[in-house]
Amino acid sequence: MAQAPAAATSGATLGFEPGAALEAQALVRRFGATQALDGLSFTVGRGQLFGLVGADGAGKTTAIRALAGLISLDSGRALVLGRDPAQGRAAVRESLGLMPQQASLYPDLSVGENLRFFARLYCLPRALFHERSSRLLEITRLGPFLDRRADALSGGMYKKLALACALLHRPEVLLLDEPTNGVDPVSRRELWALLHELVHDGMTVLLSTPYMDEAERCHRVGFIHHGRLLLAGEPRALLAGLDDETYEVEGGEREQVDERLANLAEVHAASPAGSTLRIAVARGSGGTVGAALKPLAASLRPVAPNFEDLFLARVRQEAA
Amino acid sequence: MIARPRWTVQLRAVVRKEVRQTVRDRRIMFMLIIAPLLQTVVFGFAVDFQFDHVPTLVVGHDASAQSRQHIRRLLADGTLRDAGHTTELSEVQHKLQTGDAAAALILPAGLARDLAAQRPAEVQVILDGGDPNRAVVVAGAASRYFGETAEAMVKARLAARGIAPPPLIRATPRIWFNPSLKTPPFMIPGVMTILLVITTTLVTAMGLSREREMGTLEQVLVTPIRPVLLLIGKMTPFLVIGCFDVLLVLTAGVWIFGVPLHGSLLLVATGTVLYVLSTLGIGLLISTVSRTQQQAFLAGFLFAMPAILLSGVMTPIRAMPLWLQVVTFFNPVRYYIEVLRAVLLKGAGLVDVWWRLLALLGFGLTLLTVASLRFSKRVA
Repeated sequence: MAQAPAAATSGATLGFEPGAALEAQALVRRFGATQALDGLSFTVGRGQLFGLVGADGAGKTTAIRALAGLISLDSGRALVLGRDPAQGRAAVRESLGLMPQQASLYPDLSVGENLRFFARLYCLPRALFHERSSRLLEITRLGPFLDRRADALSGGMYKKLALACALLHRPEVLLLDEPTNGVDPVSRRELWALLHELVHDGMTVLLSTPYMDEAERCHRVGFIHHGRLLLAGEPRALLAGLDDETYEVEGGEREQVDERLANLAEVHAASPAGSTLRIAVARGSGGTVGAALKPLAASLRPVAPNFEDLFLARVRQEAA
Repeated sequence: MIARPRWTVQLRAVVRKEVRQTVRDRRIMFMLIIAPLLQTVVFGFAVDFQFDHVPTLVVGHDASAQSRQHIRRLLADGTLRDAGHTTELSEVQHKLQTGDAAAALILPAGLARDLAAQRPAEVQVILDGGDPNRAVVVAGAASRYFGETAEAMVKARLAARGIAPPPLIRATPRIWFNPSLKTPPFMIPGVMTILLVITTTLVTAMGLSREREMGTLEQVLVTPIRPVLLLIGKMTPFLVIGCFDVLLVLTAGVWIFGVPLHGSLLLVATGTVLYVLSTLGIGLLISTVSRTQQQAFLAGFLFAMPAILLSGVMTPIRAMPLWLQVVTFFNPVRYYIEVLRAVLLKGAGLVDVWWRLLALLGFGLTLLTVASLRFSKRVA
């Protein structure tokens, strides 16, 4: 199902979709001069792993906070399992887990004390708490650090503890705000493996990330830009739907190449990736662009499109 | 396992967590336990409104034995202390400026001779008005002495002529409640009042702001616990610590400074709990307008300073301009200090202070309600 842009979502059609775990319906929120959310709409089906992808300041955190019921909205509706998270009280909260982007644990309490405290807020019986926490400590490999204060944990361990705290009550829906940000590659891989396991067991997961390459690990992704959804869908289908051809520019003087490319209307996006330059050009115009670069001793090598190409192309369309 | 009501599990969790964090924070522990004792001692010893041994310079232009006798008698009761003799007025100015003397007594030349010749005489007392209280005390001591001296002279002269002295009306002060007019019995209740503002208002305001600053508040608020329960759990330990501090200061006051315990301790305890409702409410209110601990701390002081100054803890409310006196009616600190002084020093009972307790209850409930509503609204 293609996501309708916010403008097309009229108030009359707002209603909870059965089977959806999370629903953002034309969310609008302004903080002073910043329009954090500008009609953001998307739906996450039950048991899905949904990735909210966007640059810093795109509105990802605000969207997640709105879904968690932590901020009020200027207009629009956020629904968790069909209920308003800000009003739903205990019923919604029991079914929701949140791992915020910034620190969220008590720095002066130990790993074990943090876990126990949050377990008690969910009124987890003691036996169940022991069972779940030992399992979570095993998965996150935090067991040996049970008595370490949270503020003495490394960035990755801290995130894992935060995740463990959010998972203690086995929420039906898990919201993760940039869980992989500031986490080393190994922990990052472990985290993804854990998320896939949770989803496999039936949990609905919504996560935000600024990393385009993480988009393909999700069942569905939504690209968010300036508080609105640019596009959403299955990662493969989205990539297949990219109109542009993508190339890597090889050789040539970078400045000259840049200048030449900037003057070609066919070139839709150019992004330096390390020592190479990646470009997206209009379908069928690869030959023209290649010919234009020839005098500069540069050539084009076709590459598979990725999410960054897709995102940049869509942002450009939006701007046009 | 017996299932306890959910809210008690949650409340206990918050209280336990709060206690654990407080115990681990040395600065807070210092503020809560050591600072009260230090304050008691410092206020008890250092804040003394009694003026003894005020250094007084004697400017003797009159060298008669009679003048010397006046000076000796005047200094004898200990209010004034001999800070040297001089005949130079310039030295008076110098010593008053440097603070070596706080008063100067000028006995004019020919004082004894004038009196013997039945001419009126004048003794000048120069006072350092920098400290108005002290100046008043010195002036009082000097005029009392010379008044009595004049009276004795009148009597002596009438007796010499064989006339009985006329009847005099004499004011006989008899001081109740604090007969030796010691400062500590007056100040210790003040210390208790000030302390509670610090332990409850400041610590609550900072504690909640810290949760906001650390991001822990949101993590707690996505759990099923109701915000009000979180607030109660966070404030409970400080209510207990506040009451403990009161007990601590009171004990120290009784033992070290001999503060009398005339009234019912139960009444003191009731007043304390009602007062703490207000101070906690203000702390909570402050936390809803502060983003950081630092802001909360500053806001706390911004409240505490005028609240204490306008409470009558330090200076009498009657000495304030009328419009300020009206303001003090909206200050819960005022009611508590009045209850404390009345009950502790004068043995006042419930019949005497009930309306003040009622005022404290009213303030407490209003402040807590408004603050909780604001808090719940801000996080939603």
